[in-house]
Amino acid sequence: MEVLREKVEEEEEAEREEAAERAEREKAAWQVEVRLEETTLSPETLRELERKVSEIETPVLTGPPVITKDTIDISSLPLSYKTNTAKEEHLLQVADDFSRQYSHLCPDRVPLFLHPLNECEVPKFVSTTIRPTLMPYPDLYNWDGCAQFVADFLTVVPLPDPLKPPPSLYSSTTVLRYQKGNCFDFSTLLCSLLIGSGYDAYCVNGYGSRDLCHMDLTREVCPLTVKPKQLVKKQERVLPKKYAVKPPRDLSSRFEQEQELKRQQQIRDQEERRLREEEERLLEAEKPKPDPLHGLRVHCWVLVLSGKREVPETFFIDPFTARSYSTKDDNFLGIESLWNHKNYWINMQDCWNCCKDLIFDLGDPVRWEFMLLGTDKPNLSLIDDDDYELNDDDDLDNLGKEDEDKSFDMPHSWVEQIDISPEAFETRCPNGKKVIQYKRAKVEKWAPYLNSNGLVCRLTTYEDFECTKTLEVKEWFQNREDRLELKHVNKITGLNIDYFKPGHQQALRVHSYKSMQPEMDRVMEFYESIRVDGLIKREETPMTMTEYYQGRPDFLSYRHINFGPRVKKLALSSSDSKPVVKITERFLRNPAKPADEDIAERVFLVAEERIQLRYHCRDDHITASKREFLRRTEVDSKGNKIIMTPDMCLSFEVEPMEHTKRLLYQYQTMMQMKNEEKQSRHLAWESELEVLEILKLREEEEEAHTLTISIYDTRRNEKSKEYRETMERVMHEEHLRQVETQLDYLAPFLAQLPPGEKLTRWQAVRLKDECLSDFKQRLIDKANLIQARFEKETQELQKKQQWYQENQVTLTSEDEDQYLSYCSQAMFRIRILEQRLNRHKELAPLKYLALEEKLYKDPRLVELLKVFT
Amino acid sequence: MTHLHDSMEPKVMDDDMLKLAVREQGPREEAGQLAKQEGILFKDVLSLQLDFQNILRIDNLWQFENLRKLQLDNNIIERIEGLENLIHLVWLDLSFNNIEAIEGLNTLVNLEDLSLFNNRISKIDSLDSLVKLQVLSLGNNQISNMMNIIYLRRFKCLRTLSLSGNPIFEAEDYKMFICAYLPDLVYLDFRRISDHTKELAEAKHQFSIDELKHREYLMQARLEDEQARREELEKHKAAFVEHLNGSFLFDSMYTEDVEGKKLSYLPGVSELLEDKFVVICLNIFEYGLKQYEKRKIELDTFNECIQEAIQENQEQGKQRIVKFEEKYLLSLSTIREESEMPNIEKKIMECGEDITELFSVLMTLEIQLVEQLEETINLFERNIIDLVGLFIENCRDLENHHHEKLLEISINTLEKNVKGELDDDLPDDLFVDKDTIINAVGASHDIHLLKIDNREDELVTRINSWCAHLVDKIHKDETTRNRDRVKEISQYIDHMQSELDNLEYGDIID
Repeated sequence: MEVLREKVEEEEEAEREEAAERAEREKAAWQVEVRLEETTLSPETLRELERKVSEIETPVLTGPPVITKDTIDISSLPLSYKTNTAKEEHLLQVADDFSRQYSHLCPDRVPLFLHPLNECEVPKFVSTTIRPTLMPYPDLYNWDGCAQFVADFLTVVPLPDPLKPPPSLYSSTTVLRYQKGNCFDFSTLLCSLLIGSGYDAYCVNGYGSRDLCHMDLTREVCPLTVKPKQLVKKQERVLPKKYAVKPPRDLSSRFEQEQELKRQQQIRDQEERRLREEEERLLEAEKPKPDPLHGLRVHCWVLVLSGKREVPETFFIDPFTARSYSTKDDNFLGIESLWNHKNYWINMQDCWNCCKDLIFDLGDPVRWEFMLLGTDKPNLSLIDDDDYELNDDDDLDNLGKEDEDKSFDMPHSWVEQIDISPEAFETRCPNGKKVIQYKRAKVEKWAPYLNSNGLVCRLTTYEDFECTKTLEVKEWFQNREDRLELKHVNKITGLNIDYFKPGHQQALRVHSYKSMQPEMDRVMEFYESIRVDGLIKREETPMTMTEYYQGRPDFLSYRHINFGPRVKKLALSSSDSKPVVKITERFLRNPAKPADEDIAERVFLVAEERIQLRYHCRDDHITASKREFLRRTEVDSKGNKIIMTPDMCLSFEVEPMEHTKRLLYQYQTMMQMKNEEKQSRHLAWESELEVLEILKLREEEEEAHTLTISIYDTRRNEKSKEYRETMERVMHEEHLRQVETQLDYLAPFLAQLPPGEKLTRWQAVRLKDECLSDFKQRLIDKANLIQARFEKETQELQKKQQWYQENQVTLTSEDEDQYLSYCSQAMFRIRILEQRLNRHKELAPLKYLALEEKLYKDPRLVELLKVFT
Repeated sequence: MTHLHDSMEPKVMDDDMLKLAVREQGPREEAGQLAKQEGILFKDVLSLQLDFQNILRIDNLWQFENLRKLQLDNNIIERIEGLENLIHLVWLDLSFNNIEAIEGLNTLVNLEDLSLFNNRISKIDSLDSLVKLQVLSLGNNQISNMMNIIYLRRFKCLRTLSLSGNPIFEAEDYKMFICAYLPDLVYLDFRRISDHTKELAEAKHQFSIDELKHREYLMQARLEDEQARREELEKHKAAFVEHLNGSFLFDSMYTEDVEGKKLSYLPGVSELLEDKFVVICLNIFEYGLKQYEKRKIELDTFNECIQEAIQENQEQGKQRIVKFEEKYLLSLSTIREESEMPNIEKKIMECGEDITELFSVLMTLEIQLVEQLEETINLFERNIIDLVGLFIENCRDLENHHHEKLLEISINTLEKNVKGELDDDLPDDLFVDKDTIINAVGASHDIHLLKIDNREDELVTRINSWCAHLVDKIHKDETTRNRDRVKEISQYIDHMQSELDNLEYGDIID
């Protein structure tokens, strides 16, 4: 122990020195910058500098500075953050008492982490910092989703002192706002979310390995690269049936077999040993350097106890990486204390063997010293075994209830409700980007819509430990219009594989290729139910093309086309396709036809003018009929045209039939096959064209990489936004119009009359006349106004014209232009005024009549005027 | 038209006429030349057209076995005859003839389109077997009774009907009536029936149609019932215990037994006998059914296993052949390219050897299978004979039991009788003295035993014969299969050999 302490001191010394050094370095850098700022620089040097600075900033871990007090705006924080209530004060006293007793009883243990300061420098008890909250996002309902969110959303800040708990613990709201925090902040937030969604979760203050504390995943295998283990199919032992035939007797020598087996076993053993050695060597190379601070680094993580939310087994969650660990994992080296929103427990068990022997039975006061009596969770396991036992909840709950009344219960959390906006939730990582380094792999994540090509995740796998030689790159996309989901590039073989979701324009599912040039090796797979021709897969090599079909009415299942070398003919350069040499087509059994007439395979040897047919095999036969058509000569020795001779059709029939022997039948079959051959060649040509078309389409899509936006995404969908805005505008206009129509014509006239009195008939008539005359006056005024403007414009124009005629000779071309433009504008104005005047003259009587009618119908006058008219 | 017919002599459908027609309607151009060379067999002809030939009598058509379409319109045929052999016929046109009754179509079960337009038919009938009928043309005939329509309800596929030009066409209700009674009809007199018309017709005739439907339904139900009963009896027969699930045997025992009948009047005898006997019969019956299931399962397992073995063997054979063919093709092409004579001969020799090897391999496989199957079949035979034996033995036990019971009861009665404890209202002539009674009882007993023995004999013989038949059939099937396979293999090998020989020959020629 003594030695260790010394060592620690040394370490601390070293670290302090390092810190000082760092400070100095920073100061120097700052000075450099200041100096640079002072002197004016050329753009090149600035750019250079920028590059340098960006290089300096690359190490991720040192990047974000700790939230310092002056960066937090404490003025806007609510009162509960700044003060303590009486109950909280009481709690702090209780905690202090507890701490004193504890240090008295266990003098050799480190002081407890009980009430650190919050962002307002107020001591707050750790349990009250946990604010159980259930988030409205379905992704945050399960523990893995919560942990992943916390890990993604926050940036890791190392502890100020790696060997001590931090002096302060901020509220989760502040942490979320600034998106950064240390392991305690992480755990508090995660614990709040987990308890909120019903888990039995605890924050754990303990000791972790170096990798854990620094979130160093470079020795972990990337979870994305781990292939899901293929379920080993259980071989069902089929009971031998009563009448199963006995296998034929095996006459080979058993001794020889055994010898052979032995020999093979030896070879296998050697191979295995070699592999194991290799592996060991690799492991040795990758082994981390021993950590001098092993077992002393403080870390904070989350413990989830079994029982609630159907959690079958107690486990740890590391909040930095969102990974779950068994409680027996090597990375967790010891536990000081743990707490949830209701209570605080101190671990009284020995941690010499990491956390492997710990028993998480919080109701057992010997193993776990609790701070507050009987708050809800004393589940003492009544079995005295050392075995790890699941707790008997019923008894324990009762036990808890009995004690409840006497106990002091935890005050309500001082933290404001945790709130995550949908935008922040979607963006997730700070600035929507995150990079994680794994063992021989790197994962980069982006928020959706952040990259213009829809890239959301990229996994780069490396061959070596230093991550210099790239093995393969996998890129995941989202919301792409071409439905591209995953792009897999193997850097060694150069093979690209694109995976598409259903809905691609050409029903593409998988496209693997080495180059986008046509006539190269490539495989395209399709969603067959979308394609009319039932094509599933098309494989291409420079000289062949193979197509696989499914579910066709003609039962075609396979077509293989061999191409010949392209004939160089300059004259016929337009026909670009390669000549077809051989077409092989296979068909599935058509149950409607007899087997002897149902073709299983047909081969068109185009160059040799030969057609080979193979029929399906009958159910109880082992041989199948065959037929071969040759076209040898067109003309016989006498010069007569040969139509069909027996030697043009070679056939083997399982059961010879009469009608197939006849030349007529053979001839008809041959002609039919010739037609089919033509069609197949045409189809081959069409397939080639289709490949070209798909390639072209793919290129266009790659270039455009447009993203689709769901119609439910109101924030991004421009179209719907536009529509919504127009709707709003229309509504607004409608509203305005309504207001206008409600304008009361009679109001100014009614105001003249004494209020509250009923109108007499005489008054009503007068009112109406007044209103009408007033309106008339207005119309006339308006007409006059237009007239006046019109005249004024005309006069001005005339004046200008006069002036122009007088000074025409002396004018410069510039002035003349000015004059002409003025003239045209003035003419335009005059014309408009004239139109308006005419329109007014036309409309004025109508308007007058309309008003009159309106007045007659006015509810206030209608009674009185009806009699009058 | 009639004038034309009158002026011409009726022609006879003879061979020449048919040949001419076949040649004229056969393939054209190049194929036609080939057809000419070879001649066309009547049985290859699929469609034949014999219109405007002035034929009086249909004849000589029996050779056209595969005919699908036959046109005999615009002749002077008076009777439908000579079409019995044309069972594949789908399309038959007999319009514009002088036919008076529908007849002679009972074998044409595949007929879908029948035209009897412009004839002298007055009644629609004799079409029962044409279940696939879709189009029926009976225009310009003498049909006058609307009830003929109801006859057409049995054709579930009928979609097109034409009846214009008949006396019933004049009836005002004609269209509605047909639409109502033939709701599946789509075209009537070459016009599509609109949905509206259908609805109207249905509404109009709803009552009578409902009644008709009900009657049809009852008929259907009765038929089904009968069918079910027949099936059950079939099943019992297969289990060899028919009529044992009731008092049939008991009743039959007493039908011929005069004395027994009298005896059964004795108090307590009849109930005792009947109840016990029936119970025993039922026992036998149940046991029989159970055994039947057992036998069936046994047989199914056996068949399944045999099928599996044969399948597997076939797969092996197929694989061998595929492998061989690949190699064979390869060597053939090398032979073709080879120019040195000795090399060719060597190659050919090799090929020949390959073929022989394939033959031997396939044959070995086959023999292996035969051995395996034989073993299995023997096992099965033993088992099934055991089962049958067990069944018989059990039956016999039950029946012996029954005998004893019967005997006991008889003796009891006798004793009672002797004691004179019987009432007076019994038939007197039987109970005059002890001997008579004993005789009567003995005779009755003999008769009963005879009956039971007969039944037993029947059961035993039948089950034994079934067993023998089954075993025989299995053996025969296996033999046939074996012979077929051997034939197939040797045929294939012969073909390959001859192909190779041809090649040899060709090469030598070259």
